[in-house]
Amino acid sequence: MTVAPVSSVDERELIARVRAGDGLAERALYDAHVDRVFRLAYRLAGDDDLARDFTQETFIRAFERLDSFRGEAALSTWLYTIATTVTLNGLRKLKRRGREIELDHAAEVAGGARRAEPDLKTRLYAAIDALSEKYRTVFVMHDVEGYTHAEIATALNVEVGTSKAQLSRARAKLREALADFAGEWVS
Amino acid sequence: MTDDRIDQRLRELARDYHRPPAVPREELWARIAAERARRRAAPRVLALRPWLRWGLAAAAVLVLGIALGRLTAPVGQLATPPDSAGVVAYRVAATQYLTRTEALLASFRAEARTGRLDAQFAGQARDLLTTTRLMMDSPAARDPHLKSLLEDLEVVLAQIAQVPAGRAGEDVDLITQGIEQRSVLLRLQTAVPAGPGARVQGAL
Repeated sequence: MTVAPVSSVDERELIARVRAGDGLAERALYDAHVDRVFRLAYRLAGDDDLARDFTQETFIRAFERLDSFRGEAALSTWLYTIATTVTLNGLRKLKRRGREIELDHAAEVAGGARRAEPDLKTRLYAAIDALSEKYRTVFVMHDVEGYTHAEIATALNVEVGTSKAQLSRARAKLREALADFAGEWVS
Repeated sequence: MTDDRIDQRLRELARDYHRPPAVPREELWARIAAERARRRAAPRVLALRPWLRWGLAAAAVLVLGIALGRLTAPVGQLATPPDSAGVVAYRVAATQYLTRTEALLASFRAEARTGRLDAQFAGQARDLLTTTRLMMDSPAARDPHLKSLLEDLEVVLAQIAQVPAGRAGEDVDLITQGIEQRSVLLRLQTAVPAGPGARVQGAL
């Protein structure tokens, strides 16, 4: 399902209608943003059930707190901030509890549809998983999901320069982790 | 190969990292709607942060101190408390607590005689029980009279909080007996500051 982007004028109207208790407007707001929220949650969690839980909680909080949205940033940025907070806090809780999320990379690599570098990809995924939370989050948001540094900075409550620096550091760590594949980069 | 080209290659390869499946829009929307409905129906529990808990307790203690001071001071020697907005606010809060508790117990005793109990008693008793325990943990409990009253209130409110709605049997008789034997209502009335406007209208 493809949802047309919401213009800033439409968005203001949509927000006003949601605040007035319009259920259809809630659904329209959800439809406009659920894809990116779910994708971000999934990319960070790597688990379908967790991504669903985090997406659900993101929208529940957003609807509960929409009155506090002052419109200083785009609604999407505000939503990504909630999504990032919910997801990272959820993952931290799981980590504290010692629960391990099963990551079935082998199945992905052996899927057959993709042709290139199964070993390199496996190593790359492991290297991404091994990044610290802040580096991994910035890398996933920017290089995998295409968020801008401004969006990342708002979502993570850091300066734009910090986001850029962390991305640079994350890439350097990945290059370092995959140094022994240097000969295969050109293939 | 330059770092830029390697980074570009990394980005290409990373696109499959935790590649999301199709977004289960309808299922997620149904879950969100159901959870929101559940939360709306569930009783709201006020989770107080520690600093707020102690702040409220300190405020309540201050008001009770003023109230007790007024009650125990000889007539004609009452010192006028500072007329600041903070003190007034504290006084209102403590008076409201004492008044609500007194009104709850009086209503409970009256309804117990009719043999029918409203479900709201248990909920209100739980609310007041929380405040009572905050008071017991505060320096207010250093006053032996107040401590004794708070301990009795804790027992009575805990019992009322456990009473099933609509049932006024032997348990309820025991609770009302306890209220009578410990003179809880009389002691509460004594603790509430007297004077016009001291009691909060519509507190229950």
